[in-house]
Amino acid sequence: MRLGLLVLLAAAFALSLALPWAALGELFAQDRSLGWAVLAELRLPRALLALSYGAMLGAAGAAIQALFANPLASPDLTGTTSGAALGAVVTAYLLGFTAPLALSIGSVLGALGALGLLLALAGPKAETATLLLSGLAISALAGALTTLALALAPSPFAFYDAYDWLMGSLVDRSLGQAGFAALPAALVILLLWRMRDALDSLTLGEEVAQSQGHDVARMRIRIVCLTALGVGACVAICGAIGFVGLVAPIFARRLTGGHPGRAILPAAAIGAILLLAADLVVRSAPLGRTLPIGVVTALLGAPFFLWLVAHMRWRLAR
Amino acid sequence: MTPLVTASGLSLAGRLRETSLTLEAGALTCLIGPNGSGKTSLLHAIAGIGRPAGNVRIDAVDPAGLAPAQLQRLLGFLPASRDVKWPLTAADLIALGGAGEPEIARILVDLDLAALAGRRIDLMSTGERSRVLIARALAARPKLLLLDEPVANLDPLWQLRLMDYLRGLARDQGCALLIAAHDLDLAGRYADRLIIMDEGRIAADGAPGALLASPHIKAIFGIERGEAGWRPA
Amino acid sequence: MRAFAFVSAASLALAAPVEAAPRRVVSLNLCTDELLLLLGAPRQIASVTHLAQQPAEFALWREARRYKRNDGSLLSVAGMRPDLVLTMGGGARDRVRIAGRLGMTMLDLPYPKSLADIEASVARVARALDQRGRGERMLTALSEARRLKPARGIDTIWLGGGGRSASATGLAAEWMALAGLRQRALRGDRVSLEHLLARPPAVLLRSDYRAGQYSGEQRWLSHPLAKGDARSRTIATDGRGWTCMGPNLLGEVARLRKEARR
Repeated sequence: MRLGLLVLLAAAFALSLALPWAALGELFAQDRSLGWAVLAELRLPRALLALSYGAMLGAAGAAIQALFANPLASPDLTGTTSGAALGAVVTAYLLGFTAPLALSIGSVLGALGALGLLLALAGPKAETATLLLSGLAISALAGALTTLALALAPSPFAFYDAYDWLMGSLVDRSLGQAGFAALPAALVILLLWRMRDALDSLTLGEEVAQSQGHDVARMRIRIVCLTALGVGACVAICGAIGFVGLVAPIFARRLTGGHPGRAILPAAAIGAILLLAADLVVRSAPLGRTLPIGVVTALLGAPFFLWLVAHMRWRLAR
Repeated sequence: MTPLVTASGLSLAGRLRETSLTLEAGALTCLIGPNGSGKTSLLHAIAGIGRPAGNVRIDAVDPAGLAPAQLQRLLGFLPASRDVKWPLTAADLIALGGAGEPEIARILVDLDLAALAGRRIDLMSTGERSRVLIARALAARPKLLLLDEPVANLDPLWQLRLMDYLRGLARDQGCALLIAAHDLDLAGRYADRLIIMDEGRIAADGAPGALLASPHIKAIFGIERGEAGWRPA
Repeated sequence: MRAFAFVSAASLALAAPVEAAPRRVVSLNLCTDELLLLLGAPRQIASVTHLAQQPAEFALWREARRYKRNDGSLLSVAGMRPDLVLTMGGGARDRVRIAGRLGMTMLDLPYPKSLADIEASVARVARALDQRGRGERMLTALSEARRLKPARGIDTIWLGGGGRSASATGLAAEWMALAGLRQRALRGDRVSLEHLLARPPAVLLRSDYRAGQYSGEQRWLSHPLAKGDARSRTIATDGRGWTCMGPNLLGEVARLRKEARR
């Protein structure tokens, strides 16, 4: 199973670099070094961002779902990505700190704020309904504030960036920017993976986990901080992309027999594949129009989410 | 003989007042008391749940700060809630208790769960699920077992079979068991020692036969023994 | 072109004497602000738009701040009782009729599409303001710039935020030609990073419009590929003048001409 995932991931990455082939093929025919330059400076950052951001969303989704013991929790439904976008926008557009590091820090702080607010509102042992409602409220608030901040920013062109921030974009990012997202994401995924046994023990409930020697309160703080860090770093570069963090862990848990902690790495792989695929869809949009990538993930993810809710309700009613 | 478990100065915010007790290896102790008397809190305090004050020694070892792998051989806790959030199979869930393959196989046989090993826990009946969760707590044969109402959700046959098994664990393996129970008769029949809790502290502690006939029962529970069994006092 | 400039100048001189010069002139458009500030006497100017007073938007913002500001609507200037209102592009509003009913003379200029249009606007405004002297001097400067135009233009791409560029046949291209820079024809008047990498221009003319203010478009401009490489010369230009491309660009064009020759 693992091998299959890795092969799929490698294939998706390669396709992301190669398609559309026509333009690239022409360049290579004209001038080989130019072809490589386009590949390295333009295609590679985009593929790398899709890989890292998708993997980060998958891993973060798996961790948050394990923490809240709820298959409906995810970075977007808990307001993490929206909070991160708000943090980045306020930092760069309103406060004027435009250095990449400043943007990332602002984004991480925004994500932390959103998650912290969620824990304060819904509590760590929240029921599904409370969790979702609080998360959606925080998401909506953050989204509205982001649009407001963009409307009031010094630059009158800022308002047109709302789509990029709220629905995500991987276009025209440099290799340096991709690194700013990929490195924190890789680090956070690794650290989350190390917590997989502790997360698995949470399936028995908080009390049993504590009796087994796991410090649940500290685990909670660590997961919140780590997901805020990883998701924040990615949102600072690409904006908020939704639904990947919801869908990927659910498929991953199918592969791990329901263990939520062990699903972190498979969820990362599946998340990366999903986002790479979504990016390919965006690139083959008709009429050469620009589709925000968040639209594609939402079109695929929202029906899945609806099915999930219906399925859960049906199962509980049985 | 030094007791297996010594606990002193245990307290848990508002629910358990400062309490100390010792537990012998090979003894099955039952905790009884009305709702809210602190049974669950005492179990939590010994298990280290919810930041209790006080200290505990199991086999002269302090469980606080031990790694999960070592702690699982020392202490096993079963909560009152039989809720499992994730659709794991019975075998996988039992494995989360830290037991190895042979130990899992053995407990599956002991608790008659062999046929259910590959079944998903959310698709089982409450009784079956209960047995799986109990199996998880027992599989690694920890020295101290803290069980919160283990026979709840079990049918009468399994209530007796489980209590027999637990008594066997105590006698043959030398475990110390502390079991919170509601059923006074069951407690009286299987316990080597009875502890009655009331309002967050230990009200009485001694042999089951003597305690069940004492005025403590009427005073704390508000019931007394009649010809047909227990009745309101 | 030169003939047209001569005719414009002549028409200024030969125009029938008009009533006394207008004493309170307001401008409701950034581009007419520029004409008013360059051609009008300070005692004539009553109000300019708020945009003209923003350093990020307008090069002559210091002069603009001496006057009252309006928000581009008739309503905001009605209280000043202007005798001449300068506007551009008409607009969907029924301004001309309303202005007439309020007793104001309105001069509405079309959007300039060529240097000839610029010269025509200069002539009209100068006449309306009764500032023939200034008008003639400006037209002379424009024809001088034409005279100094280099014969051959260097292959150039004008670069704004987000990859916006200019049409190869429009007003921007004419101004650039005066500096010896030939704007390359681009599809949709936009340039992609891939295009810049694959076919770099000899000169990359980067606009610094609102460079200090963060936006997605500015982030595009800070991509390494948008800054040009060893194969192009990158020259920065003050983006503010290129919004209206009015006569104030003369100075910038002269500077660019010198830069391009080096």
